[in-house]
Amino acid sequence: MNLDLTSEQRLLVTSVAALLDRFRSPGGGAHGYVDYSPGLQAELRKSGFLEVASQADCGLLEAALLIEEIASRPVSVEAAATALLTPLIGRCSPPTALAWALNRPVRYLSHAEVLCLIQDDDVLVGTPSPEDVTAIDGVVAYPLAVLRTVPRDAVRFTGAVAAAIRRRARIGIAAEAAGLMRGALQTTTQYVKERRQFGQPLAHFQAIQHRLAEDAQLVHACRLLAFRAAYEDDERHAALACLYAQEAMRKLIYDCHQFSGAIGLTLEYPLHLWTYRLKFLQGEAGGRGRQAELLAQQLWS
Amino acid sequence: MDFHWTAEQEATRRKVRTFLDKHLPSDWDEIAALGPGSEAVTGFSRRFCPRLDEEGLLVPHWPAEHGGADASAWEHFIIGELMWESGEPRGPQYYNVNWIGPTIMRFGTPEQKQYHLARMRRGDVIWCQGFSEPSGGSDLAALRTRAERKGDSYHVNGSKIWTSYARQAEFCLLLARTGVERRAISVFLLPMDRAGITVRPISSVVGDGDLHEVFLDDVEVRDSERLGAEGKGWEVVRYALNFERVGIPRYALGLRTLHRAVAALRRSGQFSEVARNAAAVAYAACEAAKLMVYEVVDGRSKDGPSTGTTSMARYAIVMAERQVADFVLDWTPELFASNEDLMVATHHKRAIAAGIAVGAAEIQLNLIARDVLGLGIACES
Repeated sequence: MNLDLTSEQRLLVTSVAALLDRFRSPGGGAHGYVDYSPGLQAELRKSGFLEVASQADCGLLEAALLIEEIASRPVSVEAAATALLTPLIGRCSPPTALAWALNRPVRYLSHAEVLCLIQDDDVLVGTPSPEDVTAIDGVVAYPLAVLRTVPRDAVRFTGAVAAAIRRRARIGIAAEAAGLMRGALQTTTQYVKERRQFGQPLAHFQAIQHRLAEDAQLVHACRLLAFRAAYEDDERHAALACLYAQEAMRKLIYDCHQFSGAIGLTLEYPLHLWTYRLKFLQGEAGGRGRQAELLAQQLWS
Repeated sequence: MDFHWTAEQEATRRKVRTFLDKHLPSDWDEIAALGPGSEAVTGFSRRFCPRLDEEGLLVPHWPAEHGGADASAWEHFIIGELMWESGEPRGPQYYNVNWIGPTIMRFGTPEQKQYHLARMRRGDVIWCQGFSEPSGGSDLAALRTRAERKGDSYHVNGSKIWTSYARQAEFCLLLARTGVERRAISVFLLPMDRAGITVRPISSVVGDGDLHEVFLDDVEVRDSERLGAEGKGWEVVRYALNFERVGIPRYALGLRTLHRAVAALRRSGQFSEVARNAAAVAYAACEAAKLMVYEVVDGRSKDGPSTGTTSMARYAIVMAERQVADFVLDWTPELFASNEDLMVATHHKRAIAAGIAVGAAEIQLNLIARDVLGLGIACES
């Protein structure tokens, strides 16, 4: 048991952070939040970070470390599906969209080069064309589109590979949610230190301190569980990490908005860009009810 | 990052499990249900701990000069986790090996070390901890018990409350005020048979012998029985509490209890989808607490600084205990309200104290707010 990052893992995380920092939006306020852009996506692909899971001396844990770090930054760019699924589907063409059903909004689908559609026990992998999708405008920081039809070139993956795709999708949700929660909590913590009411910073009120402290514990646990799930790459740990994250985010989202007050509801303030992505992840992969069922099957069948 | 046990750690786990299988009697669950401060468990611990020592499993983490084996923080932790999972057959003696012994090692005189550490290693001495008072629990520095110097000794007057194991204890790690300033506190290694000490048990829902009042009426304590310098007790307390704060891996018994409750539901055909959902959520909370505790132990094994992870782990443990206890009450109320499964009953008795013992859970939240989030508040620790 050794729960420290190696020096190589630390370097990996700081390197991807440095790359993302170069893309901070100069007009994006203190956070410099960067909405999804094909340019940044192409840059991330070119950097090779998203292929880390296939590189020598690296694996899914390194991919999860990157996913968590990227999600915590003030930037919207697809990483989880590409980094975790590339070794299984043999395609590294971000953004990769992961759909759990037809006729539902899918993250990154409007720009997707690759689509993985989970259909019961199988997974269909193809290249979505414009007629397959309908883009949606909204406040969710993910570029969204509804998947209407299965791409014509879709290839069917079955058995163990399909199961691995579903499993890694859950690991991706857990790692991405952990990073998003970290970003939202950091933003909120900063805000309560600066915002003064009744002659003192909000940060001095114990009612606020305790709830944010509970959130800090949840975020920390989410990270550890997500990293362990990537390390183990098995059904039990994947369902467990995804369940804990989908449980934890409900409280954290509410607290972050509550303590940010009305400014947290505006589009000029970046909080929603973390919390609304989290809200989208709350129901992914069947939501916490499905994760709990999968975990129970692993433990008690 | 490596989430697997090393071969050495696996070997320790096997060794401890084998030892427990061999030395725990068939009616152990009934004994454990009486509580760690009961006559039965304390008596059992006096026979059990010397056997642990014979196998090198009582104080392997102590330095060799004090009879240990210089084993790693992990080995120490693994023993503690498996002991708690089995109902803590060391009874009150986990105090000794976990933090009272190490605190004496750090601050004791050569004579104190020689006498007390040897007794603890033999596995038959019971200690209690005279910290909480009617005026000071979480706010420990508010204690009022005074030790007034008279020549080569002190005269102690005051009272302690919630003192676990006081009726069985031979010694008390006693905090008393020796000056007027808030932190002018000293620590004493007080023999409990000293004249002027009265112990009164307090009936409680957590088990026999767990809670007491201790009255100190002009009790004489010698200068040679003071641990550390006069008035510097706060440093000693902080050192001891650092061990204690994540001392009990409560989730271990929680997980075992959860599996027992699920097994009962499955036997009766009542493990419905809703029950499975609730069980999985409780399980996830236990696993989160476990992983956070492992992170703390890992840091300790590398002599790393405490960075707030201890407080987060402690809070996660409290939440996990609550989830398991709630699951039992929601889905297997018969196990809570009867003696059908004594292990489950034992868990419930201990879980209710999880957020209270060793400082309220809210103190941990204060520390997380200060040390992890930098929210800047006034709290002493």
